[in-house]
Amino acid sequence: MKLNVGNGSSRTHTCSTFWLFYWRVGLYSLLVLLTLYKPVHAATAVISNERSGDLVFMDDTGKTINRVPLCSRPRGMAQHKSLSTLYVACSDDGKVIEFDLTTNQAKRTYTDIPGAMSLAVHEPSDRLVVSNEGYATTTVLKISTGEILALLPTGLEPDGVTLNDDGSLIFIASENAGIVHVFDGLTYEPIKRLITNLRPRRLALRDKELWVSSEMGSRVEIFDTTTFEKIDEIIFAPKGFRAEQLTPVDILFDHTKTHAFVALGSANHLVIVDAEKRKVLKYILVGHRPWGLGLTPDGQRLFVLNGLSDDVTIINLKTRRPVITSRTGLVPHSVEMIN
Amino acid sequence: MFRCIVFLLIVMFSAPVLSSSLDITIITSKTENRQSQGTSFAGITVQPYRPVQRAVELALFESSTLLETLGIKANINQLALDPEKDIKKQLDTLSLTSLAILDLPMDTMVKVANVTNQMKVVAFNVRHSHTHLRESLCLAHLFHAIPSDHMYFDALGQFLVYRGWRKVLLVHGESQRDKDRAQILVNSLEKFGTTIVDQRQFTLSHHPDDRDKNKPEFLTGGVSYDVVAVIDSVKDYGRYLQYSARSARPIVGDVGLTPKSWHFALERYGAPQLNERYRSFKGGEPLGPQVAMTDAEFAAWSVVKLVTNSLNTRAPGNELELMAVLTDPASQVDLYKGTRGSIRQWNNQLRQPILLAAPDAVIAIAPMPRFLHQKHYVDTLGLDEPESQCQLR
Repeated sequence: MKLNVGNGSSRTHTCSTFWLFYWRVGLYSLLVLLTLYKPVHAATAVISNERSGDLVFMDDTGKTINRVPLCSRPRGMAQHKSLSTLYVACSDDGKVIEFDLTTNQAKRTYTDIPGAMSLAVHEPSDRLVVSNEGYATTTVLKISTGEILALLPTGLEPDGVTLNDDGSLIFIASENAGIVHVFDGLTYEPIKRLITNLRPRRLALRDKELWVSSEMGSRVEIFDTTTFEKIDEIIFAPKGFRAEQLTPVDILFDHTKTHAFVALGSANHLVIVDAEKRKVLKYILVGHRPWGLGLTPDGQRLFVLNGLSDDVTIINLKTRRPVITSRTGLVPHSVEMIN
Repeated sequence: MFRCIVFLLIVMFSAPVLSSSLDITIITSKTENRQSQGTSFAGITVQPYRPVQRAVELALFESSTLLETLGIKANINQLALDPEKDIKKQLDTLSLTSLAILDLPMDTMVKVANVTNQMKVVAFNVRHSHTHLRESLCLAHLFHAIPSDHMYFDALGQFLVYRGWRKVLLVHGESQRDKDRAQILVNSLEKFGTTIVDQRQFTLSHHPDDRDKNKPEFLTGGVSYDVVAVIDSVKDYGRYLQYSARSARPIVGDVGLTPKSWHFALERYGAPQLNERYRSFKGGEPLGPQVAMTDAEFAAWSVVKLVTNSLNTRAPGNELELMAVLTDPASQVDLYKGTRGSIRQWNNQLRQPILLAAPDAVIAIAPMPRFLHQKHYVDTLGLDEPESQCQLR
């Protein structure tokens, strides 16, 4: 094969030098503008990485901005927006770190929280709820003083925790027992045990609805938080998978709670659900074993953490397509979006 | 009339709370000395043995929150049978609500299973992987929680094909059990497309006349292969093939990379929590860091968990109907292996993923990628419905 180099073209230049000059000026100024332009991103994602023991800070284009080594096996995270702090469960250290988002440094450590796994912050009542995975308990503590307010007994392997808006109810999922424990948020008395399908993992509230992902039951179950009855369930069926391969974990609602996002674990898909109709809208292929989810404050982009491919898939929610998949730390677990 | 109303009221108000109980009976043999089993020449332990009691207690401990919520009482009974005496008589403490866990030698287990089957008592085999129990014995009330030889070897076959190790030298012992298992392995390997380059039998004798059969270098020489598959049910000879084969090829089967249902080093699917609980749940000094449930113990644990897990998904009735639970295709168990287990309705086998493990690491979990089944993800392991002679339901 012969390469055509040099005067192979028979095209004649009809443009005058004058126009060529202006064209060049225009091109150069565009290039100058492009080099000066720095995109302004509204949101930063903070990703906890179980195995590399660090936090990765990423902009919403998937670029890593910062990496902060933190502790052994950081997993669940929760944000206190008015204090501008982030709470990180350090599972293998039995502690929770209060991370200052203005200085990007650990500010304080809450010790004696064995097997810390998932967290929930209730800002109005200055409380932090932490499930203690290997210890069948959940710790409630006062954020400002670190005082332990209650140690709630649960079934084995407690994971997802959440509180309702006024903090009057605490929900804790026990993976092993297949139970969501409901506690009075003021007296800490047990109120109810909701029997779920196998291996309940994460909880999300939508008005009077409690959504529970059942990892081994391959579904999301919906309970009424006033009657504590199961009202519905959502079964997933992306093409090419058997029911038992679907292992949903994280559930996240968008800011208006019209859509729910569920990470399908072993099925390597993220699903978008119409929360009102409880109908699947779209399955999106992501990385290997997606669990953790985070939504940008403008509601435009969804971060999906792929725990076994050490990366994050960022989804454009307008087009419902993945934009980019970027490298994280090792075994990314949770993501929190900060401004 | 009044009585009738009172009765109705009692029924109405007692309906939501179960008053039933879960009576677990672990049946063992008085005459069997298991402590001496699994021990080779010079008292070397090659297959650790522990009674299944600890695993059953663990499963009940794990289920206590749920059972308490449902108002179900559970208890464990021990029944040590004398196989020389009338078995039927010794089993008369069992009732329709009993869950019998059979930790018995083969001949006694078959006798006991025939009796429990007549009594319509649900019994679980937790020890024997033999095909004939599933295929020709095929009893409606006898279930198998331990994987079958077919399941173990299908897992191994898939792994070899997945790795591209398609030329297999098969080496096995002299016992009938070894020969039977070797045949099942051959079937599995050929089903998935590997070639058996040769099939050779070893002997323990060191006599020079037998050196073709007892010297690893001779036994594995004169032929080209990707991998040596060893069948040695008593684990007496096979372990010496490691690092001694004529060609530098991996050893799989009963030594080296082994198909197993449970392992101490499984690091995903919540397995570390289960292993940690097994070592320490009873308080006191925990078991050593590398001690985990044997496959028989894991099977016994799965039995109890299958029953209690199914209570999560079944609408509670007034009685805990074990047979109804187990024959419901929707009943399932969280096995801490990433894919839930359930009962194969045609031959009462608990379906489950199989681990392919080295002594200190889980290398893969079968089904391997791209081995697909038309109905159930793990049904590429073991005798599938159309292949099975046993068609219970």
